[in-house]
Amino acid sequence: MVSGTVSVLLAKTLASSTFKLALISIGTFGVIVSAIFSYVYLSTSSYVRSRSDRAIMIEYSSLRDAYERSGRDGLIDLIKRRMADKSFADHLYVLADPSSAVLGGNLKAWPPTVAAARGWTEFRPLQPLPGATNQPLLRGMLETFPNGDRLLVGRDISDLDSFTDQIKKAVIAGVALIFVLAGVASTLVTRRTVGRIESINATSRAIMLSGLDKRIPLRGSNDEWDRVAENLNLMLDRIEILMAEVKQVGDNVAHDLRTPLTRMRGRLEKAYHGQRTAEGDQTLIGDTIADLDAVLRIFSSLTRIAQIETQARKGAFRTVNLAEIACEVVELYDAAAEPAGTRLTVVGDREVPVTGDRDLIFDAIANLVDNAIKHGRAGGQVVVTNETVDGSSVISIADDGPGIPPDQYEQVFKRFYRLEHSRYTPGNGLGLSLVAAVARLHGARIEMLDNAPGLKLKLWFSAPVG
Amino acid sequence: MTGGHRRILVVEDDPETAGQLVDQLTTSGYQVDLAASGNEALSRGAASDYAVITIDRMLPDIDGIAVMRQLRDDGIAAPFLIISALGEVDDRVRGLRAGGDDYLVKPFSFVELLARLEALGRRSDITAKETIMRVGDLAIDLMSRTASRRGKDIFLLPREFQLLEYMVRNEGRVVSRAMLLQHIWDLHFDPSTNIIDVYVGRVRRKVDDHQAYPLIHTVRGVGYCLRAPR
Repeated sequence: MVSGTVSVLLAKTLASSTFKLALISIGTFGVIVSAIFSYVYLSTSSYVRSRSDRAIMIEYSSLRDAYERSGRDGLIDLIKRRMADKSFADHLYVLADPSSAVLGGNLKAWPPTVAAARGWTEFRPLQPLPGATNQPLLRGMLETFPNGDRLLVGRDISDLDSFTDQIKKAVIAGVALIFVLAGVASTLVTRRTVGRIESINATSRAIMLSGLDKRIPLRGSNDEWDRVAENLNLMLDRIEILMAEVKQVGDNVAHDLRTPLTRMRGRLEKAYHGQRTAEGDQTLIGDTIADLDAVLRIFSSLTRIAQIETQARKGAFRTVNLAEIACEVVELYDAAAEPAGTRLTVVGDREVPVTGDRDLIFDAIANLVDNAIKHGRAGGQVVVTNETVDGSSVISIADDGPGIPPDQYEQVFKRFYRLEHSRYTPGNGLGLSLVAAVARLHGARIEMLDNAPGLKLKLWFSAPVG
Repeated sequence: MTGGHRRILVVEDDPETAGQLVDQLTTSGYQVDLAASGNEALSRGAASDYAVITIDRMLPDIDGIAVMRQLRDDGIAAPFLIISALGEVDDRVRGLRAGGDDYLVKPFSFVELLARLEALGRRSDITAKETIMRVGDLAIDLMSRTASRRGKDIFLLPREFQLLEYMVRNEGRVVSRAMLLQHIWDLHFDPSTNIIDVYVGRVRRKVDDHQAYPLIHTVRGVGYCLRAPR
């Protein structure tokens, strides 16, 4: 069971994108390291070789000088002296006459593989050099003198070869080690990541199976995984609240619809079973139509809010003048303010541009003004102010009525929410939800302030660009 | 609407709704043809001359607006009344006002439909524009945008004058609240309050108070009608 879990986790690790990403970086890193190491290897070996070549060249020139100065015998003499000198022990000297008979030096016979007249040559002699155990690799400089004598000056470069070989082995081992270590490290890191993601996945599955009350455990490490978990948890909180709201709204809708529907049903039932008169029928039908209209109005308000919230209308946004819309609303609602004795005025700037949907903005302002008149003080005043503040287009609607307690500011935007004391004023409690939906669609901020006395509600739109 | 030309094409795929429409329109003195699909609408619409064509937005085969465009391209001049299901009044439908056509959102009251049909059918027989229009003892001057009754000026705000003008132009016909919202305020939604009634109430006080007879009448459940006593 445990090994099963481990192998599942390993399989997930290997399949995870983090691991693939790690592999890619290891690969890239490996290529770079290999290139650096190859460069080190190549430059080291070429440096070593060029140093050895220079030593050969120096020796070769001094021998050629000796030949040119004191002839064949002088050179044979010099070769003998060199061979006796311990510090030239790893040097190779061969002087041969045109028939390839060796005149002097530390090879008994002219190496058969060396046929060129002059220049560099590399070869393995038939028998080891005196003092050497294995067959050495020799490198030398050839010269053919005008009389056909041939001189070969060289060195045993087997050591150099084995030195560069050592470097090569070290480089390969190094690269291999880096790959292995990086592989192990990335597996471990990936496994940790996969573990965190697994715990998020497990919570998600649990939520799908049983409900929204589960939360992703935090490790307290305060890293980005904890951030992700935190945000997901906040999102879950939000969803849970929304679900609760939807349920609340559903209950309220059911209640608000049930009332007129029950009335209609009762009325129709009574008419169906009881005595009917032409006049009674007339009233019955009129009342029923009125109730049906009320039901339909609630429906269309709800679908309207839902439609606004889908953001579909954003496509039809134009630049509109907030102040102009406000004036139209005020002109329309002045008719409603008059009987209540409320003084409705509009003040502020004449040009307040906003990018939006005129119908919706009109509807939102109309709702706010309507609320201000209904819930304000009879004989009081409602002031609509348009202004541009720090690049934002702002409209505020202020009344001098009883206001709203600050702790209920958030609440009033919920669908069907009604303050206790306004239960008996007409309205379906959807107005402010519509305002909130319109504000959300326009990216506008709603601010509620105490107008002392009364309520001041501000809508902050960002002014159109350009 | 001129007599003799009260022929209407109703395009509606729901049999019950279609039946109700045909019954009620026939009762109201219209001669009604019915088409149950977009294709049928195309052939019928092209074959006869109709005063108005009402068409459901959602048809089983072709979109109502596409049918309208097609018939327009075929040279059919009859005004269209697009009937749209609740909550899907989009820009294409709203744009219809510009073309002289109209739309109505389901569910609608029959009186509302009738008011729209009357208004649409009338378009073709509007006579040359006069600058002064009269209904009973009311006179409105379209140039100076003033109104008076029995020679006495009535003080009206610009919007109030617009409303009165619209009602005068539709003299004797019912105008619904939604029609007023659309024509006077260019608004395409139903405010959940009775603000239109309040507004018309104020205009009515200005026009009818202290006069020999009222001109603006409430039509219960629908809207208003401006008419002089016979």
